[in-house]
Amino acid sequence: MNTIARLFTGFIASLLEAWQELRIHKLRVLLSLVGVTIAVASLTTAVAGASVAQQLMTEQLERNGRPALISTYAYNQRSDGIPAADSAVTEAFKKTTERFDIEYASVVSRASGYRMLHQGTSIDPELLVVDPEYASIHRLFAQYGRWLEAEDAQNLAPAVVVDRTVAQKLDLDQNSLPASIDIEVGGKMVSATVIGATSTRDGGLDGQVWMLPQTYDHWYAADAPLMDATYEMWVPIEGSEELAAHFSAQMRAELPGYQVDTMRSDYLTWGGDESLNMLALVAGGIAGIILLLGSLSLLNVAMVTMKQRIREVGIRRSFGATTGRVFFSVMMESVVATAVAGGIGVLISVAVVTNPKIINMFLGSGIDQMPAFPVGAALAGILISIGVGALTGVLPALVASRVKIVDAIRV
Amino acid sequence: MRDTQLLKLESVTRSVLLPDDSELHILNGINLSVSEGDHIAIVGRSGTGKSTLLNILGLLDRPTTGHLAWRGLDATKLSARRAAHIRGRDLGFVFQQFNLLPGRTALENVMAPLMYATGADFWRRRTLATEALEKVGLGARLDSMPQTLSGGEQQRVAIARALVRRPKVVLADEPTGALDVATGRAVMELLDAATVESGAALITITHDINVAAMAREQFQLDEGILKPLTLEVAP
Repeated sequence: MNTIARLFTGFIASLLEAWQELRIHKLRVLLSLVGVTIAVASLTTAVAGASVAQQLMTEQLERNGRPALISTYAYNQRSDGIPAADSAVTEAFKKTTERFDIEYASVVSRASGYRMLHQGTSIDPELLVVDPEYASIHRLFAQYGRWLEAEDAQNLAPAVVVDRTVAQKLDLDQNSLPASIDIEVGGKMVSATVIGATSTRDGGLDGQVWMLPQTYDHWYAADAPLMDATYEMWVPIEGSEELAAHFSAQMRAELPGYQVDTMRSDYLTWGGDESLNMLALVAGGIAGIILLLGSLSLLNVAMVTMKQRIREVGIRRSFGATTGRVFFSVMMESVVATAVAGGIGVLISVAVVTNPKIINMFLGSGIDQMPAFPVGAALAGILISIGVGALTGVLPALVASRVKIVDAIRV
Repeated sequence: MRDTQLLKLESVTRSVLLPDDSELHILNGINLSVSEGDHIAIVGRSGTGKSTLLNILGLLDRPTTGHLAWRGLDATKLSARRAAHIRGRDLGFVFQQFNLLPGRTALENVMAPLMYATGADFWRRRTLATEALEKVGLGARLDSMPQTLSGGEQQRVAIARALVRRPKVVLADEPTGALDVATGRAVMELLDAATVESGAALITITHDINVAAMAREQFQLDEGILKPLTLEVAP
């Protein structure tokens, strides 16, 4: 117990001495730690930035469908081979998804031969006919207004959701929603209601618009029937391949005379992208060099300073400081200093990486969901700075602990 | 029979090897006994080995030959760690150049030895240091930096620092060497009174006969040999 108490008070006292020393020589310490702060901030930002870039890339990839995305195409073998958009296939798809208890499923059809008009502006965006679950499958968020709901099929006017490109072209802002626009199909003009707007998608120059299948069937199908349809499902990754095979077999059973193809089609089936890892490695390498230079500068200052503090070490030895205590105290000065510098570096990194404006400036693209600052990156930053402190503290600590008391007091 | 014996030197020598491989004998056959409450002065000219003797008494250095005992223990065989613990707990040093830690206030300087203490002494270091400074008349200068204090005040801070852990022996190396006569006398009176009050032994190394005369026992160190000395100094 006595030994534990002595060790504990010794540790606390060493920390206090280290802090006192840093307080007294704050300007010197501050200048010597600039390199470490910059290096830790760079390292942490590189690691955390890679994570944010990964998030952005994931978001972009998931716009084409979140893993595991299973796509089903049904071809009427008597037709020209284009995936059919007929009610029999839609009915079979609904029945099969219910049978397999699949929560997220949507038809995806592309309409053609229409225009959208609003206050004298006419545009030709890509019109996708989808179920409400399409938003979850394709990571779609309404930036303002709301996404399509099943009940919208009962609306007295067709409900549509547009992307930001369409919203900007038609001069629709947050305050103007819901807004009434005109959709012209085959010379027939129908008023529709824009109920929400999402971020910019990967549609054509005029953007993208989404509408429920029932809405399209009711208002526009007679003049411009949908020619093709894909059926998409978002299912758990584990077992998705087997599910696709069983789903396909069931669809074929439901649709005699149809060729049914079902497959995984999300980005994970394309293979991983190593470019981000490479970027993180390069950034980490540069930060590592900065850290090395900062550490050498820190070591240099610490060694010079230690030579000026020989007398002080002698005085402390006369108070009863043991060799081990002198070694530990001097090393703790370095560790405490670099830990503080590392903490500041991590805070700088957090300020940079969690600032959407800065991130969007560097990545050149909007990010839907800012990821939380990676705790691993912050911890790595702090641990690296403590490690640097310990390493650069060893040499001065050795010098201090080898001081001959009698000589040191006379200096 | 004297009080409890603290330090005992028997036939202690100290020599160092010079760069030309010849040996320089600094101390020759020193015999000295220090007990609780003693006030001993050791006088001698510069270069006679006074500081070397003080370093040996303070367990900062070891004899080349001879026997050094600390409270009956063979101090020549103590580990560096054990010697450091004894130094911190039982020995207090007052130096000629004060040796206050730069950049620290008077209070922080007096608290410094308590950083190496354990238990209540460590946790109550601020209170103990404040009391020590108040005892030497510096209660109003707790937060003063050493450079803002006069020589006499700095030495009083050093005395408070030497006494704050209630040592059994206080070793003063030319404590008045950097002070004028009046201030030096005041400092010595303070040191004497403080050690009498705490019951600590006081060993003063000095070349000033008047300072030596304030001790109850005097020795002269001449060419490494310690001899008893009788002083008759006008009050």
